[in-house]
Amino acid sequence: MSVHVEPAHGEHEHHGPAKYTYQPNPFKFDPTTLGLIIFLTSEIALFGAFFLYYGHTRLVKGLEWPQPGFEIPADATSFNTAILIASSFTCEMVLLLLVRNMRRAAIAWMVLTILLGSAFLGLQAREYIEIGFTPQTNSMGSIFFSLTGLHGAHVFIGINLLIYCLIRLMRGHFSKDGMVGLVITSIYWHFVDVVWIILYTLVYLLPTHVT
Amino acid sequence: MNVFLRPNLARCLWVTPLTSLIFMSLTLAIRHWVGMTPIFDSQQMLTIGYIAGIFGFLIGIGAFDTWFPWMIGGPTPLHEDHSQHGAYSWRDYFRFNTDHKVIGLQYVATTFIAFFVGGMFAEIFRAELAHPGQDFISTQQYNGFMSQHGTLMIFTFLVPIFAGLGNFVIPLMLGAPDMAFPRLNALSFWLLPLALLIFLSSFLVGSFEAGWTGYPPFSTEGPMGETLFELGIQIAGASSIATAVNFLVTIITMRAPGMTMFRMPLLVWANLATSALVVAATPFIAGAQFMTMFDRVIGTAFFVPSLGGNPLAYQHVFWFYSHPAVYIMILPGFGIISEVLSVMSRKPIFGYRAIAFSSAGIAVLGFSVWAHHMFASGMEPWLRVPMMISTMLIAIPTGIKIFSWLGTIWEGVLQMNTAMLFATGFIFTFVIGGVTGIWLASVPFTYHVHDTYFVVAHFHYVLFGGSVMTVFAGVYFWYPKVFGRMLNERLGKLHFWSTMVFSNATFFPMHWLGLEGMPRRVADYDPAFENWNTFISISAFCLGAGMLFFVYNVIHSARYGKIAGDNPWGGMTLEWMVSSPPPIFNFEIPPRVIGGPYRYGEPGAKHAIFPEEPATTKPEPAHV
Repeated sequence: MSVHVEPAHGEHEHHGPAKYTYQPNPFKFDPTTLGLIIFLTSEIALFGAFFLYYGHTRLVKGLEWPQPGFEIPADATSFNTAILIASSFTCEMVLLLLVRNMRRAAIAWMVLTILLGSAFLGLQAREYIEIGFTPQTNSMGSIFFSLTGLHGAHVFIGINLLIYCLIRLMRGHFSKDGMVGLVITSIYWHFVDVVWIILYTLVYLLPTHVT
Repeated sequence: MNVFLRPNLARCLWVTPLTSLIFMSLTLAIRHWVGMTPIFDSQQMLTIGYIAGIFGFLIGIGAFDTWFPWMIGGPTPLHEDHSQHGAYSWRDYFRFNTDHKVIGLQYVATTFIAFFVGGMFAEIFRAELAHPGQDFISTQQYNGFMSQHGTLMIFTFLVPIFAGLGNFVIPLMLGAPDMAFPRLNALSFWLLPLALLIFLSSFLVGSFEAGWTGYPPFSTEGPMGETLFELGIQIAGASSIATAVNFLVTIITMRAPGMTMFRMPLLVWANLATSALVVAATPFIAGAQFMTMFDRVIGTAFFVPSLGGNPLAYQHVFWFYSHPAVYIMILPGFGIISEVLSVMSRKPIFGYRAIAFSSAGIAVLGFSVWAHHMFASGMEPWLRVPMMISTMLIAIPTGIKIFSWLGTIWEGVLQMNTAMLFATGFIFTFVIGGVTGIWLASVPFTYHVHDTYFVVAHFHYVLFGGSVMTVFAGVYFWYPKVFGRMLNERLGKLHFWSTMVFSNATFFPMHWLGLEGMPRRVADYDPAFENWNTFISISAFCLGAGMLFFVYNVIHSARYGKIAGDNPWGGMTLEWMVSSPPPIFNFEIPPRVIGGPYRYGEPGAKHAIFPEEPATTKPEPAHV
């Protein structure tokens, strides 16, 4: 696929880069999407660092999770999980509707996505207050809050990106032919969702003693 | 517009402290509202103030001037008018500039400042180590200087210098007008001086003392500067991830027509492998530093043994970055050597694909060797032998490279100028460092020399004798392209020979000291080791003094050097096909690549041509 660098408009004949047709690249992505996907591998590694600590402390050091006397609300959080997964689908609806030129419906689904993401964050905050231990309690508490907090920070950034997309959508910016900004936001949002599924499985569904 | 409102360093002067103050007062307000006592926590204030200050600086310099309006769909005139691109006066080097050539030079200048400051710290503690006993500096100051030396050299010199050289050269080599994301490129540069300032400012609050590795509990209980160390690593790491993403996208999508993967110069291949390593590995050190920082600032229990903390996990996470990091610090250097040797031997590179694939091989294997730093750390015993074997395996791709280079210069018409001297000198010293690396990989030997000067000797041979030599080779090689003038050869040779002789005199005796059991990172030592230490200190001073040839040469030749012309070395790759210094937009006509990059000795062979018919049409009005 070829990438065109727009020539500069203006008074000078040779102001701006020459017009290019680049060597076709093996990936079918445009540069922005490719850049985001590469960046996401680095995000995976960041979560990997915390999962490495978590796994090492549980498996090699052999600490119990949750620590004796504490509980993790796996059932209550399954509701959160459902909300976040649903928001991934509503986010994809925005793209599908926009391809069919249904801008108003797309805006509505975008608002719904943002609301679902915010609901997830609110429920997580509630869980933080009610869970009964703090990051300072012990090392397993620290890693629990770090993993979920890091993910929460990503959800927060994702919501911000969605809001920017919503603003641009309302200004009439995206269309079938130009929606790179929307596509990469949705990829990021799906990434946040997938990380949560992994996190939920490893941290909530796999305690040391299954009751 | 007023100079304090335009995006520049003057605006940083008030935006940076303002954002710091706003967020520090917010923190105070929140602590008061939640009812925490005491309201003022110096550790937290320092962290919040610095983080806010970093964003303030970036806003001040103008990093977000385009992005903030763009995010919400506002007008972005800077996208089209190219007013941030290119340097027309020296002032343009001190502002947010999106031209990869300007950024490359900014990078190299900043990293060399870090190199000389870090080198100065080494001279200070070498003066202390010249004789046993306490002479000049206290043990705390010794720890501080030693830690700063390692940190500056690794995170603000060796990792980013290759990003700087690559920034200048790689878009030219690919035949592209710029990097794929020019604004991200400028942002990642401006993070670097911030990281350097953060590291250095830690002297004001008690410098970090836990070395560049920052192992807990020393790092979690050390003085306040340790928090700044953790912060600086995050910033430097963010900078290198952003650059790596940029390199990867540029190399994959912005190659000139005809530039297939196997027609790319080997420096590009090396940077491709390095960038993949940076993207996948750097977040691990970010994670490790987040954990120690949380322990210090908000009192988490990651590394507090009484609360189930797990200091060994720090070492795993840390080395999962920091071993790949040593390949981040040498792979681009390998690329530079491939360029220099082939051009200066007037021969095609020997084993092009072998060198290209061995870079990729090193990048992949580099992830499987991290625990060889932890043989003596009480690590899981079953990990030792696999790690020992994988570490020894990584010598194979490196050996492939070494022998390919020897094959390249074999029977070549060698032009022994300074760049070539550094390239051949690199092979000599790097092989010594590589061989001791194999020794250290074996578990029983490591038990004997762990944390002694033998290890110090080893990594200075690979990082100074290896990476720094390649940096100098690259600087001498591309200086004519950057400034349009030649460096003085006589001064260059003086610089090479003083570096070569005194670096070996400095680092070689450390092997013997280590074998006899002198521990590293100590401010004082047994008088039995005095003779060699005095010798090492004197050599280190001479090594530092020899760098003055380089500094004088670089500054003087930029103005008074011999005019270089477009292609002083007779290179074939694309950067030698444009004028020196290159035009603002690199290529007036997009080049067309028609063959491999190293076709020296083939009569009439060319790597690329400029098509007769200019591809540029009349500029059309942009429709946005």
